[in-house]
Amino acid sequence: MKTTEIAIIGGGPAGLSAAISGASSGAKVTLIDRNYSLGGQLKKQTHKFFGSQKQYASTRGFCIANILEDELKKYGDRVEILTNATVLGLYEDKVITIEQDKQYKKLKPEKIIVATGASEKFLAFPNNDLPGIYGAGAVQTLMNEYGVKPGNNVLMVGAGNIGLIVSYQLIQSGVNVKAIIDAAPQIGGYLVHASKIRRMGIPILTSYTIKYAHGKDAVEKATIWKIDENWEPIPNTEMDFDIDVICISVGLSPLADLLWQIGCKMEYIPELGGHEPIRDDNLETNISGIFIAGDVGGIEEASSAMVEGRLAGLCAAKSLGYYYGDYEERRKDLIDQLISLRSGPVGDKIRSGLRKVII
Amino acid sequence: MLIKTGIPTNEDIKEIVPSKERRGKGPVAIIECFQEIPCNPCYTACKFGAIKEFENINQRPIIDFQLCTGCGQCLTKCPGLAIFIIDESYSDTEALVQIPYEFLPLPKEGIFVTGLNREGKPICRAKVVKVKQGKGENKTSVITLKVPIEYSMEVRFLNIEDYFSDNTIICRCEGITLGEIKNLIKEGYETIDEIKRISRVGMGPCQGRTCRHLLLQEIAKETGQNMKNMPMSTFRPPIKPINIGIIAGGEDDE
Repeated sequence: MKTTEIAIIGGGPAGLSAAISGASSGAKVTLIDRNYSLGGQLKKQTHKFFGSQKQYASTRGFCIANILEDELKKYGDRVEILTNATVLGLYEDKVITIEQDKQYKKLKPEKIIVATGASEKFLAFPNNDLPGIYGAGAVQTLMNEYGVKPGNNVLMVGAGNIGLIVSYQLIQSGVNVKAIIDAAPQIGGYLVHASKIRRMGIPILTSYTIKYAHGKDAVEKATIWKIDENWEPIPNTEMDFDIDVICISVGLSPLADLLWQIGCKMEYIPELGGHEPIRDDNLETNISGIFIAGDVGGIEEASSAMVEGRLAGLCAAKSLGYYYGDYEERRKDLIDQLISLRSGPVGDKIRSGLRKVII
Repeated sequence: MLIKTGIPTNEDIKEIVPSKERRGKGPVAIIECFQEIPCNPCYTACKFGAIKEFENINQRPIIDFQLCTGCGQCLTKCPGLAIFIIDESYSDTEALVQIPYEFLPLPKEGIFVTGLNREGKPICRAKVVKVKQGKGENKTSVITLKVPIEYSMEVRFLNIEDYFSDNTIICRCEGITLGEIKNLIKEGYETIDEIKRISRVGMGPCQGRTCRHLLLQEIAKETGQNMKNMPMSTFRPPIKPINIGIIAGGEDDE
């Protein structure tokens, strides 16, 4: 059976960073991603990133993907990249099964870093299966990867960072965004994102939810209504929008199937988006040799995912014996970066969630 | 409230705006960043030490307006597009506002566009005096607008359409433009009737149905009056133009 020292599942910001960190420490790494190219969600991010220089602040997301991929390739033979390869299973003996180009493959790594990211949450409302109703990820894939306009008139459901960013990208693509609604009484995303869309005249309606989607063969109209402080709809507050796209952006939940399979201890932490694995400071789960990094361990910004990836890669390599004098210094720097990124008021929920899963 | 609407309030703005004196001295950065988020590229971009080092990355930027030269380095680096450069030293009546812009096509230098406020409402006509195209991977372009000085702290975006164009037709029947109306108001004509008599606005086939309201709005705006207190035009028969012969011929009604 094919072997490797560290297998990294998922080639997004966390996985790429983990692979770089593992390989730079001296380990042989195998990076596995189900897409044709690496970068994960970074590929679709056309906005400049927040954070500090260490997390590529002020650089656009898709450029960061290229920077990370170039950095990884510097390590030559120590790096193996499997793209178009979906991990199907993760077994007790740490064997990974993979489908790549219609072939079934097995890989036995010594350490595994699961960096599978997250999946989108959806909403239950009548006719939510009509064509034209998309998740925000699909809209970004269409626009930013394939250059296809998803429609002409959009109602955006969700005023978190993704809803705000995708609205801005839609407007940049020449699509009308009729309104951004959010059931919460306040805007969840960064206010600078909200303000830059608001000053183009796009209304942001908080305490509104979608009631009904209308249409026969495709969505033609959306009805929204206001909700009160108990999240109950208020009758006679309905508003209609003539649209051909409803974009749902109501949050993410960790894509942790593989962690469940191998028997990691999981805890339901709503602040982090769903079920997350219990882990230690070095991002190792209760199963020795299984590390995690990025959104699979709780929904955060990509900047934190990249730092977590570096940390997981560093610690996985150390557990294989790749240990240098500056290990402690590097580890501390990464942990300090995470503390700093999570320290402000927007990190409140993340901090409270993480306290429950880090042992 | 900002957190509900995305629109910074007057109180929010009051907190971050430099003194009138400083604004009059030359270009200065206005940082409209009202929330503690983990982000500091404005500090790293500033070569003059005007944006203070962050004690922690979530801190809101603190700027020393005396050290700020208005160079604009921070403007293109801000991921939130929340920094603007204003220059009220341009003239007594006009100011320059630099706005980060990430849309195509870019406006051409010299054209007139519409200045939008933080709510996206059209508030004034603005001239594009400079377009600095975004370079390399940064790509954020900077548009410098010339706006009436009283709007320097209001205009924060632009619509490439020129809503307030002087060539906009106010009276279609007689072909009277917004520019002509504005000039007349400036000369001291301040009621619909006065402007009608001097310019023929509202005296064509429609007899003012299309233009009357627009005219009233424009007078109200230019003179600062409230429309409900302003005199309407005088209404006399016939309410539509007719052949004089119809009147002369009359009807056999004794």
